[in-house]
Amino acid sequence: MRLDEIATTIRSKNAGPCLLTLDLLFPNQEAFEFVCERISDLRLHVSRCYAKPAAQVRIFAYEPALSIKITIPRDIMSGDIGDRDVYGAQQHAPLLEVAL
Amino acid sequence: MSAALRLVEAFSRGDRRPLRILGASGQLGYGIPSAAFEEGLRRKPDMIGCDMGSIDIGPNYLGSGAMATTRVGAKRDLRKVLISARSLGIPLVIGSAGSAGAAPHLAQTLAIIREIAREDGLHIKLATIAADIPREEIKLAIRARKVMPLDTMPELSEDEVNAASNVVAQMGLEAVRRGLETGADVVVAGRACDTAIFAALPAMLGFPVGLATHMAKIVECASICCVPGGRDSILATLDDEGFVLESMNPTRAATPSSVAAHSLYEQASPFTIHEPGGTVDLSHVRYGALDARRTRVSGAHFEPAETIRVKLEGARLVGQRSVLLCAATDPRFIERHEAIFAGLQDLVRCLACEDAPEDYTLFFRFYGVNGGHDWKTPAPSPREAFILAECIAPTLERAEEVIRTTKQGLLHYGFEGRLSTAGNVAFPFTPPEVAIGPAFRFNIFHLMEADHVERLFPINVETL
Repeated sequence: MRLDEIATTIRSKNAGPCLLTLDLLFPNQEAFEFVCERISDLRLHVSRCYAKPAAQVRIFAYEPALSIKITIPRDIMSGDIGDRDVYGAQQHAPLLEVAL
Repeated sequence: MSAALRLVEAFSRGDRRPLRILGASGQLGYGIPSAAFEEGLRRKPDMIGCDMGSIDIGPNYLGSGAMATTRVGAKRDLRKVLISARSLGIPLVIGSAGSAGAAPHLAQTLAIIREIAREDGLHIKLATIAADIPREEIKLAIRARKVMPLDTMPELSEDEVNAASNVVAQMGLEAVRRGLETGADVVVAGRACDTAIFAALPAMLGFPVGLATHMAKIVECASICCVPGGRDSILATLDDEGFVLESMNPTRAATPSSVAAHSLYEQASPFTIHEPGGTVDLSHVRYGALDARRTRVSGAHFEPAETIRVKLEGARLVGQRSVLLCAATDPRFIERHEAIFAGLQDLVRCLACEDAPEDYTLFFRFYGVNGGHDWKTPAPSPREAFILAECIAPTLERAEEVIRTTKQGLLHYGFEGRLSTAGNVAFPFTPPEVAIGPAFRFNIFHLMEADHVERLFPINVETL
């Protein structure tokens, strides 16, 4: 199942200038739990798509919002030389195609 | 007596009641939709708050002292909230003045407010709170091992402190509270935690700090916590057990899931909010629908810290920026772009440096391929692609020299398999080079232990 088929929101943003945070919001308990049961698989996908060691990929399941948050270090600090996305708002795209 | 002090007096007489807080704008200066704002005023709010800044906008504004919004946009929005707060006789709190909240930003914001007061005949007792941290203070803290890096930052050196063009710290609700306690009608804070803007008055009145801070974290973004999200004003009604959120635009709904989702927004973790004076624990928060458009939130708990730690932010100049804008439509060029850009680096180095060492950085974002994201997985080639070449050099003249050399080199670069020998790129206009000017980087993003937090954020009161 691809994430863009089960999530209602897939977004990215800075969490401070050093970190990128990706939020997945799900429409119901079933979809949320489907992904919660596959967190280790999700971590491997994120690690591969964003070229980060798995240990740097922090994943939080937040049940009140039926959501999963993924936080990783940015490649380049926000606005530093060579940065591509100062706000970090367009870094979610690789997640769209992740299939669990 | 100011409205804030009247509330304190009434509450101390035992006249406690829920507090109504209007979040007018999450980004003052980009427009406040009038219909929702006026609906908010009709609800007789006890205060109006506006956030004016953020670190998300990058290092340029903090480094240069410029505002991110136009002066005319900031003045339009400031006039709207100043006139409304004065006509209702309620406090107005503005945080992170002028985008980055350092001395030049605060000065520009105050100049606009004084201008409005003069033009509109407003009488205002104004408290301003500076957030600039003296370099010596930070160096002493470094030597006392009271400064620690945040996230992926390296340890802070005294050289970096010297290099920063502005250094601020995010003030907490304690500083804004001192501003309100002066009897001011309007409090304008330099760099401030967005929560401080909205949580200071509730804290003064004895509402639980955890609830007030959680409420503040949500209303500082106006109606972004709603479905559909938007910039319309939002009203929070806070009592001792929780708070209710309602967008002042009737087409936007604050639902339990939309509000819960907002707890994630721009936060590394959904379970905690870190403040200078402690941490708000959100693990036991409950969200319940009052009706289709209103949600009640409860359960946030504040844990005071033993040591107050403020977040320092600083930005330094790294050089002068000049860019080149052009496009490629030839599939052979697009296919071989990596080798072309690498070869061009060598060519430009030979032409612009001759035997001297390279004193600039030159790099290429290839939109259509890797302009907005540095993809780690392969993808098919696009039909055409846009090239943004960027040079950062010690002087603007040098950056322009490098970027114009790059332009000519790119136009005629001979690559393997080239069929189109009259020119490799399309220029949308000439000159295709743009001299942008100073480039900055965040060089300070650290926590500093603060024993005398009052001294860090001094207050000045004036009467307009």
